[in-house]
Amino acid sequence: MKPDKKYIFDSFQFKLFLVSAGILTLFKLLFDSSDALIYLLVNDLLVLITITFLFLSAVVYFLNRRTVPLSLIMNIGIISAFIFLLIAFSDSFFALFFEKAYDKIANPGLAASVISIIYVFLITWFAVYIFVALRHLFFLRQSKNLSVYFNTMLAFFVLAAVTRHYLESTDLSFINDTFLMISVLLMFINSIRISWIAFLTKKEKVGLLFLSIIIFVLFVLNASGTGNTATTSKLLYSFSPTLNVFVSLTLIYGAVYFGVLFFTTLFHLPTAEAFDRKAEEVSSLQYFSKLITQVLDFKELAQTVTDITVRLGNADSSWIIWKENGDYISLANKNIGYVDSEAINKIVLKNIDINKISETTFLSVNDFEDKLKMNLPLKRLAVSPLKAHAQVKGLLIAGRKSDNKFGEEDKDAIDTFSDYASVAIENSTLLEESIEKERLEKELDVAREIQRRILPPENPRYTGLEISSVFIPAFEVGGDYYDFFEISDTKLGFVIADVSGKGISAAFIMAEVKGIFQSLSKIIQSPAEILIKANETLKCTLDSKTFVSAVYGLIDFEDETLQLSRAGHLPVLLLRDKEPQRIKPAGLALGLTETEYFKNNLEQVTINLKKDDTIVLYTDGITEAKNERLEDFGEEYFANILMSNLNNKADEISKKVISEVTVFSKEHSQYDDITLVILKWKQKINIDGDKHGRIQHISCK
Amino acid sequence: MAEFSTSVVNKGDVSIIYLKGYLDAHTAPALEDNFMKLIDENKFKIIANFSELEYISSAGLGVFMAYIEKIRDNKGDIKLTNMSEKVFNIFDLLGFPLLYEIFKTEEEALEKFNESKSVGNE
Repeated sequence: MKPDKKYIFDSFQFKLFLVSAGILTLFKLLFDSSDALIYLLVNDLLVLITITFLFLSAVVYFLNRRTVPLSLIMNIGIISAFIFLLIAFSDSFFALFFEKAYDKIANPGLAASVISIIYVFLITWFAVYIFVALRHLFFLRQSKNLSVYFNTMLAFFVLAAVTRHYLESTDLSFINDTFLMISVLLMFINSIRISWIAFLTKKEKVGLLFLSIIIFVLFVLNASGTGNTATTSKLLYSFSPTLNVFVSLTLIYGAVYFGVLFFTTLFHLPTAEAFDRKAEEVSSLQYFSKLITQVLDFKELAQTVTDITVRLGNADSSWIIWKENGDYISLANKNIGYVDSEAINKIVLKNIDINKISETTFLSVNDFEDKLKMNLPLKRLAVSPLKAHAQVKGLLIAGRKSDNKFGEEDKDAIDTFSDYASVAIENSTLLEESIEKERLEKELDVAREIQRRILPPENPRYTGLEISSVFIPAFEVGGDYYDFFEISDTKLGFVIADVSGKGISAAFIMAEVKGIFQSLSKIIQSPAEILIKANETLKCTLDSKTFVSAVYGLIDFEDETLQLSRAGHLPVLLLRDKEPQRIKPAGLALGLTETEYFKNNLEQVTINLKKDDTIVLYTDGITEAKNERLEDFGEEYFANILMSNLNNKADEISKKVISEVTVFSKEHSQYDDITLVILKWKQKINIDGDKHGRIQHISCK
Repeated sequence: MAEFSTSVVNKGDVSIIYLKGYLDAHTAPALEDNFMKLIDENKFKIIANFSELEYISSAGLGVFMAYIEKIRDNKGDIKLTNMSEKVFNIFDLLGFPLLYEIFKTEEEALEKFNESKSVGNE
């Protein structure tokens, strides 16, 4: 048993009740009833104590339960029905024991005593339950503390009950009558304050109306059944006159309460619908404002919007007309098929200019040119705009099957609601966008990481050749790639490439391109041959709109030559004399054409290297870098910077270029990757042991 | 953000797409839609007029590659006209003049289409 749940049988009060009931039973069995005053006093005292403890334990029982008024009413109804049956059968049942001689009730046999005691206890139990339940109903939903009214009534109950027998046949019986009358008066007063009815729905009120009249009748019958002549009354009276009065008063209280309840409910009925609607509006808006912060899923949100629209607008169906990719589609259909809603959409859009609608507009079937042939014929429509970023993004539709016009109240409700819905939808789309943005950023992080790993960690070093390389990734990853291949002691291969497209797909293609060049450079030396083979592979693997521009070069330290082939890439610049030479052998970008065609249009050039020849490889990230006026950095400016730094070391030249590009484009974010590779031929060095000037070997791990 | 827009004009059985603004990885899908629509309508004779195109990136060039095969399979072609020097240089670098017929004016390209038609009719 859970410790926090208190059962009536565990309560202290109930244990006391059991003890007092036991004593009372023993007392009843041991002593024959008599008219002696001492007997009556003890008897009444015991009865009072027993009822009090039973009352208290019932109060405790109700305190520990959350009770709904309607279920309480049902319980009272069931119990009063029980009492009704008990009273109805008691006449014939007890006749068996008492042989129609009612006067013998005073001193029956043991069996009859036990049965009548049980019977009396049962009735008492029920009466106390009803009394406490009525007390509970009295206090339910009361804003003020009204216990004084109830307690006064209770006091008069007790007074009336206790004094009954002693004053009955004396001159002072009017006192008892007064107590009784005041009790009944207080019953009426206490029955008027029924505030929980207002919180019931219309349906519940209708149910309550029927229940209350039935229970009222039961109480009236029961009250008269415990009147003076019936068996039950006689049994109770002989058991204890106090008890008899108490039970009677409780039943009268029940009759009064339910009589008043019936009329109160009746008067509440006409306003029930308006009350329901207000309550519905309030709860819907609360529900919805919660959803504004909760719903992350646009579809789910739309579903909720139409759900609530049906309830708020007293509509049969609801859906949203949403603009998607230039088309209008039905969304979140509630109680209507998509075929039907699509058919209505056409009519709605014909009658309403989606760009001009600013508030809820009503349409009726009569407005429609063509009669609808639908599974669900809607006769009335309410159309509200759903706006986001001050633009109508969609329409919220509520439809009625009946010919009931939408009224001003519906308009207000739907208008208010569609405003809420618009805000929610705007939030939802903004959220979706920012989630998408975050996802893209994560993706780009991955792409940049791939790129970083693909590029050589450091340049090979030679005494006869200065090598400088700079790579600056763009935020979106442009797909630039460069690499060096130390083919033999006398040969160095290098490549610079640019994948079309951006982002993670470009990064993956870079990885593929690296793999291709790395393996080809080991088996083929001729740059043209390598590009032909690379094209062959990439033509098969790349999709038709993606291609790779590249330059492959081979430096022969022994022959002092540079062989170059170009596949659609920017020209290679050779800085030798006053003007930079643009070395631009013919060649299509990789992945565009079939091998034969590619091969037939590919040239290879050979340059005999002279001391201080500077070879510049770059990608369009440099020449297309933009300033605040969106002007390009340009090839000319690039060439000028190179030429004016011609006498510097390769590293210094590239530093200078990059700093110029950075200054030039400081007002404009870098759009594409920047790659710059500068090779500066110093001289042929012929020293034994380190013949070709290579001072460090970077092996491929 | 740089903008890009297109408009399509039909002259006889030739469709002319006018490109305007910046064609790059972000705006390329708009041009793709144009090509897809024309192919859906079985219009395979297409001229791309570059007169108002200010910039084209490699991704923009990719769009032309994406549909050329299908268009040529259907006896059509994409001919390019009115390129600025800057745009032409980008095409030239990648070797596109080897893959596409590039004309100075729209009329020349139209003539070329009509020529091949009359040849085809004979």
